[in-house]
Amino acid sequence: MFHLEVRDVVKRYARFTALSGVSFAAERGEFVVMVGPSGCGKSTLLRSIAGLEQISSGSVSIAGHDITAAEPSDRGVAMVFQNYALYPHMTVAQNMGFALKVARRPKSEINAAVMRAAEILRITDHLAKYPKALSGGQKQRVAIGRAITRAPEVFLFDEPLSNLDAALRSQMRIELSRLHRQLGATMLYVTHDQTEAMTMADRIIVMNGGTIEQIGSPLDLYNKPATRFVAGFIGSPRMNFVAAHVLRLAGRSVGFSLGAGLAPLDLEFAPGETLPFLGDAVVLGIRPEALGDSGEIHLADADVAVVEALGRETLVYSDAHALRTTDSESLDGYFAQLVPSQSDKRPGQRVSLRADRSAFVVFAADGATLHDASPALAHHK
Amino acid sequence: MTPRSRTVAIGLHAIVSLWTLFVLLPVFVMVISAFKSQAELFTRPLSLPKQFSFAAFERAWGIGISGFLVNSLLVTALSVLIILLASSLAAYVLARSERPVMRWVYVAIVAGFAVPLQSVMVPLYQLVSSAGLLNSRLAIALPYAAYGIPFTTMLFYTFFLEFPRELEEAARLDGCGRIEVFFRIVLPLSGPAIASGAIFQAVFNWNEFILALLMLTRAEVRTLPVGIYGLTGQYSADWPALMAGLAIATVPLIIIFLLAQRHFVRSLAGLGK
Repeated sequence: MFHLEVRDVVKRYARFTALSGVSFAAERGEFVVMVGPSGCGKSTLLRSIAGLEQISSGSVSIAGHDITAAEPSDRGVAMVFQNYALYPHMTVAQNMGFALKVARRPKSEINAAVMRAAEILRITDHLAKYPKALSGGQKQRVAIGRAITRAPEVFLFDEPLSNLDAALRSQMRIELSRLHRQLGATMLYVTHDQTEAMTMADRIIVMNGGTIEQIGSPLDLYNKPATRFVAGFIGSPRMNFVAAHVLRLAGRSVGFSLGAGLAPLDLEFAPGETLPFLGDAVVLGIRPEALGDSGEIHLADADVAVVEALGRETLVYSDAHALRTTDSESLDGYFAQLVPSQSDKRPGQRVSLRADRSAFVVFAADGATLHDASPALAHHK
Repeated sequence: MTPRSRTVAIGLHAIVSLWTLFVLLPVFVMVISAFKSQAELFTRPLSLPKQFSFAAFERAWGIGISGFLVNSLLVTALSVLIILLASSLAAYVLARSERPVMRWVYVAIVAGFAVPLQSVMVPLYQLVSSAGLLNSRLAIALPYAAYGIPFTTMLFYTFFLEFPRELEEAARLDGCGRIEVFFRIVLPLSGPAIASGAIFQAVFNWNEFILALLMLTRAEVRTLPVGIYGLTGQYSADWPALMAGLAIATVPLIIIFLLAQRHFVRSLAGLGK
């Protein structure tokens, strides 16, 4: 039996539908991250599970109990908010013990629970302080501590790290992972940051437009994205997309035309993969790390536009002229290339964009994946 | 600071200083008059008293100021309490409800603010009279409360619109019902709104004259404004005692204001949304 089960949840507002039939389930002790762009419904789903939103139809159950209509406090969930939501008129200890106080538990029990949570989070020195005396990271810890004292069945996190600076965020990521292992609790975590999703999740739920695009382990989503949306959302820098159409079909071999003056590209579809029709418009995807100076296929010549030297690796953005990326907004029409070393490339330099045949992903016009890349990426061989 | 904004600043300070003088002058006259004799008050009205005499204060106290003071305190405290409780609860529901009808309820409450007291005095008197409340402190405390609720509801409403909802949601997850969320989280954090509501209504109810005159005819239930009015006769009045009585009546308000002015200023800065 699943620990958390969400079935066909629909949430309609007066003017739009935030969730249109969402279903998933989480095992006990699983760390599930819901990720997606703003407005995709991930926060609404989390708030619906918390009971802060009434769902229009569907059901939610936790530990075998249907809690669709239960009060927030009776659901066995605790939530950590983006803005911490600490009660400013209470000390850290009172904040953390508030739920138990409302439940009229004996003082000794409250103190013990607060102390235990404070030790786990290393905030015992701050128990007598008021929230305004704490830094952002400390506040977030108190907010997590408040959730821990309640000993909930499921922890809900609503973008808890987005108010912290980058250094603190990566530190808290590690701490949350440690906390998850230590408590063995079921956690559901919402973020728009794919890095948080990739680093912490046992499983990721990618949401878009009120529906689930794909559920899977971080590497599954990276290696075998079910849709073009997932392929573009997971991975940073994001996947390069090229508009193409089907030029020829021979058995399971499909030839694509990439544009005027460019050599066609032939890819071998595996048995079980859906073949496109002749003349279909498709989108080819290729990860930045698979694009390089070497490789079986010469895609196009390009001019380097921007070089980002990150020390251990280098990001090269280049303009391939004849070869147009369909991603004109996010990458400014440039092709992103991730070089796993320092590079002497300079803006204005002419380069050749090459890749191995196995690195290409093919998406149908509706976004569904037709052909996967093989996970052993050519570049690192 | 640029020369231009400096000029503006000086100009603003000049205006505020003039206004302050304008407001404080009568208060100053009231205080110095309270220490003078009747004769000196008329011969040298604006100069400082030759000697500070507390005789006028004694006379004022002797005529029953202490009783009026207690009545005023009771009436004001009760009415302000009712106003704060009713307004904050009403405003919270109005600010949190998503039903369109609540906007009209809000408009109706605000419209009540525009009804002049004089226009409803006669029916109000009949109402209070038939309730058997004439000559009791409730006879004015309840109408005061009714009159204070619209403005204070507006005040709380604007405050609650800005109140962080996540705190309320956190409290609901922590096991609070709606009422508990209000009394344990929202109200304790509403200091600014409570303070300005309390000051506004306390000042108004403390000074209110016409209703008190109408409803309270027996001396032992009179409030300060009506009681002090009793110090004036038809042809003569003990002006120093009158001024002393007024000075005594001013003190509690000044104390309340000093205690709450920090909140008061902050909450008025956000009004009008």
